[in-house]
Amino acid sequence: MTHIGFFFRLFGWFILRPMGSAKGRTLTVLLGVALGAAVFTSVRLAVHASLEAFHRNMDAVVGRAEQTVLVPGGRVPESLVARLLSHRQVKAASPISTTYVRVAGSDTEPFLLLGFDPLLDRPLRHWRTTDAETPVSAWLDLIRHPGTFIAGSLLAERNGWKTGETTTLLHAGEPMTFRMVGVMAGGGLSAAEGGMVALCDIATFQEFTGWRGAVDRIDLILAPGETAAAVQALKKDLPKEVQIRPASRTRESGRMMIRAYQLNLSILSFASLFVGTFLVYSLVALNAASRRKETAILRSLGASPRMVFALFLVEGTALGLMGWLLAIPVSGLLLPFLLEGVSETVSTLFVRVSVPGFSLSAWEVLLSFTVTVAVAGAAAVQPSAEAMKVPPREVLAVIGRRGVPDRQTKRLTLAGLLMIAGVWPLARLPGPTGLALPGYAATMLLFIGFAMISPAVLRRLGRSVSIPLRRLAGTPAYLAGRYVKDSGTRTAVSVGALITAVALFVSLVIMIHSFRETVKLWVEQTVSGDLFVASRLAEVNDFRDPMTRDQIALLHSLSDEAEIVASRRFSLLYDGRVPYTLQAMAMDPFLRHGDFVWMRGDARASRPALVQGRGVVISEVFANRTGLSVGDRFRQPLQGTAVKLPVLGIIRDYRTQGGVVFFAFSALQAQLGDVRWTGARLYLRDSSGWTAAELRNALLERGGGSMDMVLGKDLRGEILRIFDETFAVTTVLLFIALAVAALGIATTLTILVLERYRELNTLYAVGGSSLQLRTMILWEALLIVSVGEAAGLVCGFLLSHILIFVINRQSFGWTFLYRVDWSALALSVPLVIAVALAAALPAFRAVFRQPPAAMLRER
Amino acid sequence: MSGESKPLIIAESLSREYTLGETRVVGVNRIDWSVAAGELVVVKGNSGSGKSTLLSLLAGLDRPTGGRLIVSGWDVSRLSDKHLTQYRRKTVGMVFQSFNLMPTLNVMENVCLPALLAGEPYDAVRERADGHLRRLGMERRFDHLPSQLSGGEMQRTAIARALINDPAIVLADEPTGNLDSRNGTVVMDLLADLHRTDGRTVIIATHSDMADAHATVEVELKDGGIV
Ligand SMILES: Nc1ncnc2c1ncn2[C@@H]1O[C@H](COP(=O)(O)OP(=O)(O)OP(=O)(O)O)[C@@H](O)[C@H]1O
Ligand SMILES: [Mg+2]
Repeated sequence: MTHIGFFFRLFGWFILRPMGSAKGRTLTVLLGVALGAAVFTSVRLAVHASLEAFHRNMDAVVGRAEQTVLVPGGRVPESLVARLLSHRQVKAASPISTTYVRVAGSDTEPFLLLGFDPLLDRPLRHWRTTDAETPVSAWLDLIRHPGTFIAGSLLAERNGWKTGETTTLLHAGEPMTFRMVGVMAGGGLSAAEGGMVALCDIATFQEFTGWRGAVDRIDLILAPGETAAAVQALKKDLPKEVQIRPASRTRESGRMMIRAYQLNLSILSFASLFVGTFLVYSLVALNAASRRKETAILRSLGASPRMVFALFLVEGTALGLMGWLLAIPVSGLLLPFLLEGVSETVSTLFVRVSVPGFSLSAWEVLLSFTVTVAVAGAAAVQPSAEAMKVPPREVLAVIGRRGVPDRQTKRLTLAGLLMIAGVWPLARLPGPTGLALPGYAATMLLFIGFAMISPAVLRRLGRSVSIPLRRLAGTPAYLAGRYVKDSGTRTAVSVGALITAVALFVSLVIMIHSFRETVKLWVEQTVSGDLFVASRLAEVNDFRDPMTRDQIALLHSLSDEAEIVASRRFSLLYDGRVPYTLQAMAMDPFLRHGDFVWMRGDARASRPALVQGRGVVISEVFANRTGLSVGDRFRQPLQGTAVKLPVLGIIRDYRTQGGVVFFAFSALQAQLGDVRWTGARLYLRDSSGWTAAELRNALLERGGGSMDMVLGKDLRGEILRIFDETFAVTTVLLFIALAVAALGIATTLTILVLERYRELNTLYAVGGSSLQLRTMILWEALLIVSVGEAAGLVCGFLLSHILIFVINRQSFGWTFLYRVDWSALALSVPLVIAVALAAALPAFRAVFRQPPAAMLRER
Repeated sequence: MSGESKPLIIAESLSREYTLGETRVVGVNRIDWSVAAGELVVVKGNSGSGKSTLLSLLAGLDRPTGGRLIVSGWDVSRLSDKHLTQYRRKTVGMVFQSFNLMPTLNVMENVCLPALLAGEPYDAVRERADGHLRRLGMERRFDHLPSQLSGGEMQRTAIARALINDPAIVLADEPTGNLDSRNGTVVMDLLADLHRTDGRTVIIATHSDMADAHATVEVELKDGGIV
């Protein structure tokens, strides 16, 4: 143990003490690491909070249900409950219906109303109320008194409801007045939707929604025995259109989607941490280089190479550790912002979550700690290994050796080029669905490859520019060129950091711009229309509730003023596994006013077939998830019949809940008979002379208040607004990565100055003015930054292709039209250069930190 | 131009003190001294006696904290930064114990560097550097990097560099400290030759007695003062 004690004493003398005398530098590095670690940690924690909320909700809603009986795109007849209950494979069966509803006369957010049979449900879900003596009395209240509900605690609190009070709730159909008979307490169903939930008896629910004799699903607990066999047996005894699925299916698909999002954000936030580790590398490398003499002395006094290695490695690890500690307060600042941004994004993109607050996950904390410390330690490996190789005889040497042999640079360049060449093949490897692992591995390879070829680029640049520079800008510029040429791998590290940050910047700017431009095109063509109408709360309820006949008649009454495109949506699973939306739409008027954004298939030839109901068009996401392509046959069981049509084309679509398939409304009508719409879009006729707002007002006057209505212009604006908000988190992370890279440049340039203090002072002694020295440093910075910026631009363009055509495809199933935002990029170039040059300021000040005369005293 | 009898270097009560927190350390203390042009001065003294401090003041690398230093008509103690740079370029050339060559520049480029910094075009300077290097026996080493040279060759390169701007004074701080005795003798002879043949003023600070034979003036420092 004395050995360990001695090691740490040595660590104190040899590493910590010098760290203390270079506080500014050490603090900069710590700040960089802290920012990176904080971003990483808080992003993970924020997504974790959403995931946690989602799970809690799912656990509460699914309860102990094992299997679920449902009808794709329709509802299950209630009569099945009795049949199931008497089936020998079934231990418990409980009919459930859910819908989002709203309190009349207020614009509070919608909440979930769950209709069930409290008695049948007893084995499946557990809940109790705050004031009832026994659970039984609360159940009895619900059953005995029609029009009653029990509220979740948050819901009751937000609305200020007291037991016994009445309130009117809105749904697609007629409003209904409810009386609250209790508030749920702790555990079970009370956790659903974070407490924004209400329970009512299934009969009350049916009366309210108008879905008499039918329920959304029937949850089952099977009798003991083999599940697969039991499900088979059940299937045989149930009507054809009814399906049985594991109750955890929805939970799995939701979890997968949030996981994919978590991976994307984690990787993006890891980029900051990654850039931060460049800082650790530079600092440890500087310390190792500047303490070469001391290292040689230590070695000559009997320190083993392993001990020297351990000293510097522990230095890197200690930087990681301290940076992580410093990250805790920084995360505290970032978290509230991220929590909100992330849960909003998850809600709009994937599944509704309500995040009550954040919970500290021991696992996430451990992960962030391990990753930060390990990455910082890893960054110190190379300089430590270098220090280990210092031979003891160097105590006797007069001048330190420097400069990288040509051979090493050549090998690096070759390896770098090979890596870059391997990027595209790697990116195309198949990976798990929804997780863009090959894409991210390719990105990593791209970054490392570029960092590896940067010494060669610097070398070439230094060689070719130093002579012209002397003519143009004099000796200082010449010396800078010479230095950059020979600096080899030393500058490569900071150039690598800069390349990473610039490439991230460029590629994300391109990606976000391409995405936005494509979404805009999609919105303009496919989300065309002057007014969109749907049954009330259709959006949150996945367009499950058709409009009433009165509402449809009302719309028809305006057909002289506006052309009506009726549509009916179904939320379904394709092949029982891919969630998507099947949308029947009046194709003829739609295609006259708007269009799909076609990707594959002959648009011109396909339109008539589409109008006549002889085929479907499928979205890119749907095509990627199912593997269906043009010419294949699309098959979907629907309310006892089946839609079977050829795929005519693949189109772009950016609605967020999975893919979408469009076909003619007339074809649906032919299949199902009389079909009610779930929504419609209205195109004003030229002859009407109305504006969209006037059309809406006319509808309102004639009793259209029971529908959701939104002007096309507003809807399109809203979609783009959500889009921009979704990328707010990304943009913040991007700027943090840039800031960390700027810190990196500052550290590296300072280090390059400090480690050449002897050379710089010699230059001064032989007649260089301080202006000349500073000019030289400025030129060095300029050259290094331009190489970083130029390589970063190239790397960024490559990366943008990977992001758009690989990572987005692998994570979300969609790609975009490639559009470069030249003006934003053009702005970014001077911005990045200015930031990087500002980072040269500390280096400037470091030039004469040691008085020139001191060099006469150093041996 | 200064008159015939006027010394090239005049120090009046020249002091350089260092403050380390509370304590004050004397580098050189109230030196009154003068050196005529064309002398070869050997500065001796124990370690810590102030030799390097004196030379760095003469070289324009440092400023006195008291007294005056006038070299070749320049009041070094009062020069602006700009003029101090001019002074370092034109008036003095410096040779160091640890050579201090630029590791990334070859021999020729190292020698040309001070003239380039002074704004001269490379081609003209090369010719001059060529001459100096030949004279110092370095004609086959123009393209070598410092790391490819022996200690003696490095110091000869450094001497050529000190001469490139044709300074009146050459300063050398322990020029043989990192050399063996044979190479040390060669370097001392070369420095002496600058004084003998070119009539330059040469000031050498050293522990060794290799320079004694060449000295025209010898001063001994003790605790920052001349004894
Ligand atoms: N930058 C400094 N800070 C503090 N004290 C200094 C500094 N430079 C020199 N000194 C002190 O000034 C005194 C003279 O130092 P100097 O280097 O001139 O001696 P020297 O004669 O050159 O010695 P050596 O023969 O060992 O080279 C010493 O006591 C030294 O400690
Ligand atoms: Mg000395």
